Amino acid sequence: MKKFLALTLILALALPTFAACSKEEAPAPGADGPSQPVAAGELNLYTWENMFPQEVLEGFTAETGIKVNYSSFDTDETMLAKLETAKGGDYDVIIADDYIIETAIAEGLVAPLNKELLPNYSNVNPIYQSQFFDPENKYTVPFGAGVQTLVYNPAAVEKEITSYADLWDASLQDNLAVIGNYRVVNGMALKVLGESYNVTDIATIEAAGKKLLELAPNIRLIKDDNVQDDLLSGEVGAAVMYTSQVTLACLQNPDLKVVYPTEGVGFGVMAQFVPSAAPNPEAAHKFMDYILRPEIAKQCFEFMGYYCTNKAADELIEDAYKPFLTLPEDFSGETEMIQNITAEADEAHVKAWTEFKAACGQ
Amino acid sequence: MKTPKNALASHGKGKKVNYGIWLTILPLYLFTLLFVAGPLIYMVVLSFQTRAEVWGVVNQFTLDNYKNILDSVYLQTFWESIKLAFTSTLLIAAIGYPFGYFMAKLSAKWKKIVMLLLMIPFWTSSLIRLYGWIIIFRANGTLDSVLIALGLIKTPLKLLYTYPAVVVGMVYALLQFMILAVYSSAEKMDWSLVEAARDLGATPMKAFLTVTLKLTMPGLLSGVILTFIPSMGLFFIADILGGNKVVLVGSLIQDQLMKAHNWPFAAALSVILMVLTSLMISLYKRVTHTTELEGIL
Repeated sequence: MKKFLALTLILALALPTFAACSKEEAPAPGADGPSQPVAAGELNLYTWENMFPQEVLEGFTAETGIKVNYSSFDTDETMLAKLETAKGGDYDVIIADDYIIETAIAEGLVAPLNKELLPNYSNVNPIYQSQFFDPENKYTVPFGAGVQTLVYNPAAVEKEITSYADLWDASLQDNLAVIGNYRVVNGMALKVLGESYNVTDIATIEAAGKKLLELAPNIRLIKDDNVQDDLLSGEVGAAVMYTSQVTLACLQNPDLKVVYPTEGVGFGVMAQFVPSAAPNPEAAHKFMDYILRPEIAKQCFEFMGYYCTNKAADELIEDAYKPFLTLPEDFSGETEMIQNITAEADEAHVKAWTEFKAACGQ
Repeated sequence: MKTPKNALASHGKGKKVNYGIWLTILPLYLFTLLFVAGPLIYMVVLSFQTRAEVWGVVNQFTLDNYKNILDSVYLQTFWESIKLAFTSTLLIAAIGYPFGYFMAKLSAKWKKIVMLLLMIPFWTSSLIRLYGWIIIFRANGTLDSVLIALGLIKTPLKLLYTYPAVVVGMVYALLQFMILAVYSSAEKMDWSLVEAARDLGATPMKAFLTVTLKLTMPGLLSGVILTFIPSMGLFFIADILGGNKVVLVGSLIQDQLMKAHNWPFAAALSVILMVLTSLMISLYKRVTHTTELEGIL
């Protein structure tokens, strides 16, 4: 009796699996027609959590019959370590940050794109192309950009803020939150001093560190997650935040002001790439091209809350989201990306950062 | 007659029994070697290696990681950690000792109830309990609303992201360890000794100082160890309730590992932190002449 029960249980568990298989295979020939029967199978997608709305992934599977296996990492570094262990295999599409992609390309872990399989490639906004990590656009398709933005609540701040330098104003005492990214925060001081984010001269970095110490009395909070909550609850009056947090904050409180600092803005690009030994590169290209469609891209960016890197999708973005997902039409400010620097310069940054954090607690 | 026979019997079976014992112990040894000793050795080795220019580590011997620690910025983080651990331990002892002492004097039924009440918070993740403190402390949060309603303050206190908030979080997270340690030694104590002291004319204060305190000292000391050492490492409390502004060794290690990718330096910091805590434990052994910690069952 027991054996019989076990057997039925196993069967009951196994049946849906079979059913699922046949279901997934069925629409493939129908939807794609006989012209593209090859790319069926599975796609291993590797990126952060919450990068795609469920309906986009389901739509892709319904159209192509390719099952998407979504696995996620929490930091770029974890991703690179895993990709290294897999020798460029295991995953078909990876989405990560610019600087880590530069390293991955240098380590030979990225395959060049086959642009013929990406008819929608021309939709990419050229502002975000040809950047340091992929100057000839051979390996990557940009997917979302973050612009380091300053947001403040005019009701909780006495002074109008237009630049990074304004953050040093004494009226902001104990009223400012910054993200815990040392290159971004030290970078604000570098920008105030008129330097580049990527200087490698140690004396300049140390000078920026000194400048940053003067900011310490204004800092109430340093943190990476949910900084918008502290701005919304009134814990702080102004904050330097990640783009997705700006979107969340402004959607909740339309009175908040977003500032593109006069010193110039820094931005980072997330991009998709195919690893060098991807098991299913064909499916990977299909997926990237699918994501490049304007109407699909619109869904993704509204969901993610990052700047839209798809020019064709810009006009589809709903008005409520437009101010945070697209650059203003009159945007002419200077932009600079944060890049990998020498180990020595990086250590100087970390030291300045530690000094700054300790000074904030005094 | 009995003893040698038994000894002989067990000796005769000895080989077989030992074999069995080895078989059961071996997995444990292997597990310890693999997952405790292995990573420790790796960490020590890593701390003498050189950081690669962009990513990873180069196998090149260096002492620079340890030299870097001598930089005043980094020494400061050790000092901050010790200072915070010391402050919290002192407060925990001041609250936990009387608590444990009086708990041991309760009736059996109440002992069980209090013990249960002490344990219940452990059923929830410590991180979630910390977020509870955020709700209490934040601007216009629970504490502010209560104080404003009582008319004690007019504007929010802005207690969140301050040093006192961090200390409260530390005390809250570790208090139970002190209470249980003191309780277990006060519980074992022979109270007739106190009565004897009183009969012989000692004042209650004197009886407490000469008898009770001395007999519960092992519990108090192990409570100190059980709270001081973890509080050296509980950096996430300082990060969450202190807004990342109190830089402890733990947060420095995390920064070096996750943000700066300087693994060898992070390893060197960890090695020094471990040496420091080992020193504390050996000091404890010196003082109490025991290796056991009271209160760990």
